Amino acid sequence: MISPRTLRNLKKELRSSALAKLGIVLVLAMILVAAFAPFIALHNPTNQDLEENNLPPLGFSRTTEETSSEMVNGSLEIVNETVRINATASHPLGTNSLGQDVYSRAVYGARTSMMVGVLGTVLAAVLGVSVGLVAGFYRGRVDDALMRFADVSLAFPSLVLAIALIGLWGRAAVDVPDPFVALGIVDPVRAAFGLPTGMPDSFVLPGTVIIVVGLVNWVWFARIARGEALSIREEEYVKAARALGASDARIIGRHVLPNATTPILVLATIQVAAIILLESSLSFLGFSGTTLSWGFDISQGRGYLSSAWWIATVPGLAIVFAVIGVNLVGDWLRDALDPGIEGEGGV
Amino acid sequence: MTDEILKVRNLTTRFFTEEGQVNAVESVDFDVRDGETFGIVGESGSGKSVTALSLIDLVETPGRIVEGEVWYRDADLAEEHRESHPDAVDGDYVDVRQLPESTRRWLRGPAFATIFQDPMSSLNPSITVGEQIAEAVEVQRRARANPRRTRSRTQGYGLGRLLVDSVVPSRDYVSEESHERAVELLERVGIPDPEQRAEEYPHEFSGGMLQRAMVAQALAGEPDVLIADEPTTALDVTIQAQILNLLRDLQEEEDMSVVLITHNLGVIARMCQRVGVMYAGEVVERGALEDVFQNPVHPYTEGLLGSIPDIEDPAPRLSPIEGNVPSLLDSEMGEECYFADRCPKAMESCLHRIDEHEAESTVDDAAHHVRCVLANREYDESEALGPEAKQEVITDD
Repeated sequence: MISPRTLRNLKKELRSSALAKLGIVLVLAMILVAAFAPFIALHNPTNQDLEENNLPPLGFSRTTEETSSEMVNGSLEIVNETVRINATASHPLGTNSLGQDVYSRAVYGARTSMMVGVLGTVLAAVLGVSVGLVAGFYRGRVDDALMRFADVSLAFPSLVLAIALIGLWGRAAVDVPDPFVALGIVDPVRAAFGLPTGMPDSFVLPGTVIIVVGLVNWVWFARIARGEALSIREEEYVKAARALGASDARIIGRHVLPNATTPILVLATIQVAAIILLESSLSFLGFSGTTLSWGFDISQGRGYLSSAWWIATVPGLAIVFAVIGVNLVGDWLRDALDPGIEGEGGV
Repeated sequence: MTDEILKVRNLTTRFFTEEGQVNAVESVDFDVRDGETFGIVGESGSGKSVTALSLIDLVETPGRIVEGEVWYRDADLAEEHRESHPDAVDGDYVDVRQLPESTRRWLRGPAFATIFQDPMSSLNPSITVGEQIAEAVEVQRRARANPRRTRSRTQGYGLGRLLVDSVVPSRDYVSEESHERAVELLERVGIPDPEQRAEEYPHEFSGGMLQRAMVAQALAGEPDVLIADEPTTALDVTIQAQILNLLRDLQEEEDMSVVLITHNLGVIARMCQRVGVMYAGEVVERGALEDVFQNPVHPYTEGLLGSIPDIEDPAPRLSPIEGNVPSLLDSEMGEECYFADRCPKAMESCLHRIDEHEAESTVDDAAHHVRCVLANREYDESEALGPEAKQEVITDD
């Protein structure tokens, strides 16, 4: 599938581009964090502890006015006292208003973002590429009908369309058992490192969100695939295949699709980033089926921006790094696989 | 006579473009005999390639085969369709154009194979050469094993499977025998070290090697008729000779018929037993090579032969045919002979539609047909069209 020449180009491009390296590091880090979240998180991200709410991150402190009443000489006196709350080592990035560990929530949020980003992109790609290949290969009325439908769906703002679809279908979510917890290796490992045990035994996959982001973003794949199919169908080897008696399905699958993979792959990486952002927007607005999401955490921290900025800032930075990382990887793939486009992303 | 593998009658292909109707191929008749090479020669835009594509029914929109019959000899097919498609069967012959689409597709490969002009772009750059040939072998092996000629030769190879295959490479569809046969075929067409070369991608082959690979792929179905559409045009002169030799050797060994399409008269003279000369979508002269090349009747054929340099008798100047190929737009084509405005022997009788006439033949068992009034009369100077009259031929429609 991947020819040695392609591999060479990928390596060459990687050597010459520092940004590509950075992108790969960021994406790999995110994948590892998402996969091994139960080992990396410090606390169960859903555990609440109202005694320890709004704790600041290490190196910061927070002051709060505490009011107490005291009996002084027979009369009740109200005393306002400024109390300084210091960070604790067990919550290095602080806690939110419910006393949940901000760092652990960010770690688990990576899972949601990755799952929605990758599965949503796969769905969008399968739908869009199928439609686009058929439209471009058959042209004529089929093409007109499919692509006008695509144009119409593109006319809706994607966030509004997504909210409308979620409103229609509800916020269905699937509980996926956490494989590491199910294997029973999480607690012993955590205990060995002296970490609190009792991590969540399942992970909420926001099913509706995945389907919706796929349905909202398929158009981009359809357009790219159609463009490729339009040019590849005119290639001599397609004519040659037909002269040897190949069926349309075979020509599309064997000759058109493999020669269209490069732009589709590049688009797919960039779409992962776009879908991560879309998922964050949806959960920020409260349209996701899960509460373990960066967007949801930002919306939680929004009210505390002046007093506890870290609640929204930490997941916000996570989104920034994830999107930058994925986009840098996309640039790298584009520069390496498609020498026709002069790289803007390369350094 | 039953030694014709292919009889083409009244084949007419038109393109319906935005500028109007283009008559690319007009009432073409010719026969191809068993084991012979039939040449089709003509200048660019005379309809040679469209004729080839029409034979295998691969004309793409906006083009359409308007009418005509392509009779192919296959006793089994004829027997099978005698009841269901009585119009499409005549003795041992079937009219390919009237058969159902699935049968027509089935015929591509095992009956007709095609080699195209540009070998560089005729192979899929993302699949190894061996794999592509093996796939052609496999498809056609399954086609032969499936006498009902249904679509099931692609069974187990639906779009879903194809999508999976494009992600997960697998060779399950193509059997081990087909891979061995592909290597055999590569060896047949003179590719050194075929096992090694089969694993390589098209960009690692030279042009001549790729054309050999194309020939190997065409041989995969053991075709009765090999259609070679300008097989040597994109190649170096030295490689051209090799490919032509290869085609001739293979033709003898395989007992195939070859339809060779070219604009190169030298190639025709060297390869063909019979030849058809095309001009403006029509076959203007056809017959045995000796008749057409030594005693040409049509002034266009004469003109073509006169524009080749002769090494024995180097003329100071070649005598090219004056003027240009006429427009093939229907609205701009008149009733008169299409060659009249360029013809040195145009006469008044050329101003109406010319049918095919039988001309004198020096070869037994080979008719000589000419689409020209000169077939059965002599040129008469008193009737000649002057330059003004010729000019009118161009402008009056």
